[in-house]
Amino acid sequence: MRYKSQSVAYWYFAVAMVLFGLQLVFGLLSAAKYLGPDPLLYILPFDVTKTIHTNLLIVWVLTGFMGATYWMVPDESRAELHSVKLAYIQLGLWTIMGVTAIIGYLFRYGTGNKLLEQPLPHKIVIVICMLIFLYNIGMTIRKAGRFTTTEGVLLLGLASSALLFLPALLHYENYTVSIFYRWWTIHLWVEGVWMMIMGAFLAYLLIRLSGVDREVMDKWLYVIVGLVFIAGILGTAHHYYWVGVPTYWLPIGGFFSALEPAALVAMAMYAYAAIRRSGLAHPNGIALHWTVGAAVFTLFGAGLLGLAHTWPGVNRWTHGTLVTAMHGHAAFYGAYAMIVLAMITYALPSLTRGRPEKGSSLGYWAFWTQLVGMFGMTLSFATAGIGQVYLERIMGMGYLDAQLKIQVHFLMLIATASVFALGVGMFIYDFFRYPPRAPETAGEGTPVGDNAIPVQ
Amino acid sequence: MNSRQARLFAIGSTAAATIIFLGLTIDSHRQFPTLTNAENITPEVKHGMAVWHKYNCINCHTLFGEGAYYAPDLTKITKHRGQEYLKAYMRNPALFYDEQRHRRLMPNQNLGEEEISDLIAFLDWVSNVDNQGWPPRPILVTGGMVPGAMAALSGGDVNAAPPGLKPVDPDDDDRALGEQVFFTAVPACSACHSTAPDVNLAGPTMAGLRGRTEALLAAGDYGGQAEDVAGYIRESIVSPSAHLVPGAMYSAGGVSFMPDTYDSDLTEEQLDQLVAYLMSLN
Repeated sequence: MRYKSQSVAYWYFAVAMVLFGLQLVFGLLSAAKYLGPDPLLYILPFDVTKTIHTNLLIVWVLTGFMGATYWMVPDESRAELHSVKLAYIQLGLWTIMGVTAIIGYLFRYGTGNKLLEQPLPHKIVIVICMLIFLYNIGMTIRKAGRFTTTEGVLLLGLASSALLFLPALLHYENYTVSIFYRWWTIHLWVEGVWMMIMGAFLAYLLIRLSGVDREVMDKWLYVIVGLVFIAGILGTAHHYYWVGVPTYWLPIGGFFSALEPAALVAMAMYAYAAIRRSGLAHPNGIALHWTVGAAVFTLFGAGLLGLAHTWPGVNRWTHGTLVTAMHGHAAFYGAYAMIVLAMITYALPSLTRGRPEKGSSLGYWAFWTQLVGMFGMTLSFATAGIGQVYLERIMGMGYLDAQLKIQVHFLMLIATASVFALGVGMFIYDFFRYPPRAPETAGEGTPVGDNAIPVQ
Repeated sequence: MNSRQARLFAIGSTAAATIIFLGLTIDSHRQFPTLTNAENITPEVKHGMAVWHKYNCINCHTLFGEGAYYAPDLTKITKHRGQEYLKAYMRNPALFYDEQRHRRLMPNQNLGEEEISDLIAFLDWVSNVDNQGWPPRPILVTGGMVPGAMAALSGGDVNAAPPGLKPVDPDDDDRALGEQVFFTAVPACSACHSTAPDVNLAGPTMAGLRGRTEALLAAGDYGGQAEDVAGYIRESIVSPSAHLVPGAMYSAGGVSFMPDTYDSDLTEEQLDQLVAYLMSLN
């Protein structure tokens, strides 16, 4: 930690960790309900646990993004943050927003609009938090006068996220139109601007961890951004197939979403090439695992598994089944959870006291246990989903009967989800094992700057 | 490619994709009113949509295939089930399904009567949206269109029936009890009749039976004794040859191929329930 103000990142990461843990509690509860019967039917029904599960994901990942940005920007711009106080105010406001939203969901206080369940006051607080955040980051860069490509991509991604949230604040009287604009927020977030954010973090981590030449990384970052948007923007069409929009969205969705993996292939190649060039000399091996892992798992979960059901002729049969849950879990974990965990792992030795730079075996156990668990969950959803598609959609068996025939996959889901939860538990324990370093000690400890690669 | 060219590629491709996307958005808005029958979005439909959101329906069910995957898709539900059935169901789902057997049950939402009827109006509006013919085959809540797959394993034993056919309490809704009869009678009705629209097996589909019968009774080509739809359905069960549905695979020489044993094998109560169930199918 070269700059005192970077220590705010610790508290963002700490909040993210707690929310991540909670997300899994509600995920496991939801999974258990697939087996049924549900003793909590009138206390905590599926719709509530599921809403909380997905909302916690969005909140903790965004908290992680913010923390990681507060960590990265001083490093890149070589300056202290514009205002540490503002960053803490933002975190407080954001956490209160998240926690009260979750409590509200327990009492069915929400909009009932998938993934945008936050009530209007909460949505407004989200916008305020984003504005504080962008202002703080923007001012830091302006004052420093040093603006890197990585920062530019990151900042554009964050600003666009805020902008694309605006359609979610409006009310639509036509359900089809409301679906149309819901995807402007959800799809363009996860398959557009969040990809920019992810690409920026990936570039930052690869430059720091592998010591690869910045010029080269910057160039490829542009190429990746270009590929993300060519495919991602028009790829929104794959959410428009069956919702009451004109037919031309079908071929457009098919073609452009088939291109979406191109950017992810580029990202994985980018990570691999960086390592080939400069080797694995950086002492923080776990951070490197998470970084490369994120690139590879994104290619698998978002790219390959997305491609598997994105073509209109296939999607006609798989749409609205557990096949979607398969893709959703693997994609979100690979692209967003893992990149946040990579940033945390990278920053943690500097943010905490007494933590060895090269990490502990617990850290590696957390990595591999999570990966095995998530891979197993993906397979469970896949087998359940394929069974569902054949029985329900192709053979025409009733929904309830088909669900009963695929019970065994739900058992597998719960088993593998427990393995995953164990891995996350280890990560969280490892996170809180060492106390945070006091901001005054900035500049001490292990250097993690541009030239921190030991020469061998 | 140098850095500047790479940057131009990023900006250029993003700009091009954005412009095309916005253009198509404008054109979609031009077409939304026709595709979604916007003129039918009445105050009831709007209120029904508010009810849909208020009770967080989408976090169990799907609509247009979007939502959670824990409960059936409802895009075409009003095409499959009559209003009265849907109303009775929403007043108390536990009269139709059993948590022990189905492993899932919709919690009673305690909806008001107006909420229920407006929600149905909303779902009916949804079912008429032109959505590229999705789903390609009807998504049924229970039962199925595969002959035999849903029949009881051994004659009439409700416990041997597939779990989707709940052995209901005698106090449950007549239509739910009738559905059980449909799958467990000997021989099972479901062995020859599907409940999916347009899926004709050895016998004609039961989907849309009520509407077809109304048309038949009004047209005057009917030769049986029944006065109304319920009477017709009852007659066709106990006396299959009283009126013959056209089709070489359904009858020959003035005699229906359907077994004529139900008159003696089903109780009066079971017949009532079966008629009530078949009347509930749209």
